[in-house]
Amino acid sequence: MTIILELFIYLASGAAYWWWTQNLAFFGLAPNLLFAAALCSAILAGPVKSVAWGFFLGLYADMLGANMFGGYALTYSLMAYAVHTLKRHFDLAGLFSQLVAALALSWVCMFFYQGLSLAFSRINPLGLKIFLVEPFLNALAVPVLFQVFYGLKRRTGIL
Amino acid sequence: MSREKDAANYAIVFFAALSVLLLLFPASKFAHTARIAASYSLYPSMHYGARYGHFIRNVPSNFVALLETDQENRALKDKVRDLEVKLRNASALVSENERLTSALRLSRALPWAGSWARIVNKTPADWYGSFYIDKGSEEGIAVNDTVLGMQGDRAGLAGRVLEVYPKFSKVLLLTNGAASAVCSIAPGGFEALVEGKGTWLLKMNYVPEEAALESGAELLTSPGGVLFPAGIFVGRVTKVYPRESFMNFITADVSPAVDVNTLKEVFVVRRNLQGDLAGRGLAEKR
Repeated sequence: MTIILELFIYLASGAAYWWWTQNLAFFGLAPNLLFAAALCSAILAGPVKSVAWGFFLGLYADMLGANMFGGYALTYSLMAYAVHTLKRHFDLAGLFSQLVAALALSWVCMFFYQGLSLAFSRINPLGLKIFLVEPFLNALAVPVLFQVFYGLKRRTGIL
Repeated sequence: MSREKDAANYAIVFFAALSVLLLLFPASKFAHTARIAASYSLYPSMHYGARYGHFIRNVPSNFVALLETDQENRALKDKVRDLEVKLRNASALVSENERLTSALRLSRALPWAGSWARIVNKTPADWYGSFYIDKGSEEGIAVNDTVLGMQGDRAGLAGRVLEVYPKFSKVLLLTNGAASAVCSIAPGGFEALVEGKGTWLLKMNYVPEEAALESGAELLTSPGGVLFPAGIFVGRVTKVYPRESFMNFITADVSPAVDVNTLKEVFVVRRNLQGDLAGRGLAEKR
């Protein structure tokens, strides 16, 4: 039952991100809900699940794009692993730490994906506008999504 | 903790290797299959998201439309309520207009001078006893002025003015237990006393036995009675009671000429009575 629910949340996260970018994008900007979901699941879930969630959410992001297939999967997997390591030392359940983590990891992931893209495809996917604004949007989205995931985890035992 | 760390390490190695494989060999059958599988697996969520997305997209505008409709509905309800009140008033005015038109036509034919007054208050506890009219001493109404009511196209005796105030007056109905009028019975001209009983019927007393009174006989005010002008329609005999052995006159029930229940306006006849009969009311004095 839990796995079905997790699958549903996974698909809902992807669909929500896609819908947001389609309908609520403001000057071409929207919070990266897949990144936010990956970060929240990494904070809440155990070691394997957090990495798996990162990988599959990255795969969803890859599927939405036409660039490197597997680039986001690798990026979010590594981010999940990093978060899993970090949360032993920092309390990532707090609002401020989530904001800081979201802000910092957004830029780290962007740089990492930029590097991957330049290495594998030789194209530069990163726009300055996204680089400057999206991390802040992500920082706003992460605490909200964290509360949703946390509520679901408490009620249904997912993650 | 170390076991957990191991699991995390194994997981990251596995998934990182998988990702790197996909990145390194994008044109390989494996990567191609993975891409196709991912696309086919994840596409339905987007497909149905797009299909039902317009429902969600329209939610804000639908909500606003709902609020606007609600406000409009409230405004229209208020408007309908106002219009219903106006319509009710209008229909009351129309019927009043019709009534007054016929009464005016009738009053022109009346041989008495007077003025029209509207009944402004009837007390349920004294329904057949009295009522108030909206004319008083300022309009020339005086105590004991005769009050006529219109029934159909004919004027009938309703009562007399009992108390007069500057802007309104109290009328004592003929049906009041304390009211009476001297009447003459139409064909023969015999006189009798019609008294109120506090009900919708009147009682006629002191009818001479030889009057040959019959049901349906018409009663008019008699010239012998000082309070009322002569010749006003008072009512019709409905039932004649036989003479009791110990009495030398007969009695009868009389249906009044004016139905108090349907009366809305009355015609007050100026009597200009002299002396005690025109005695000014206590209320007026005050």
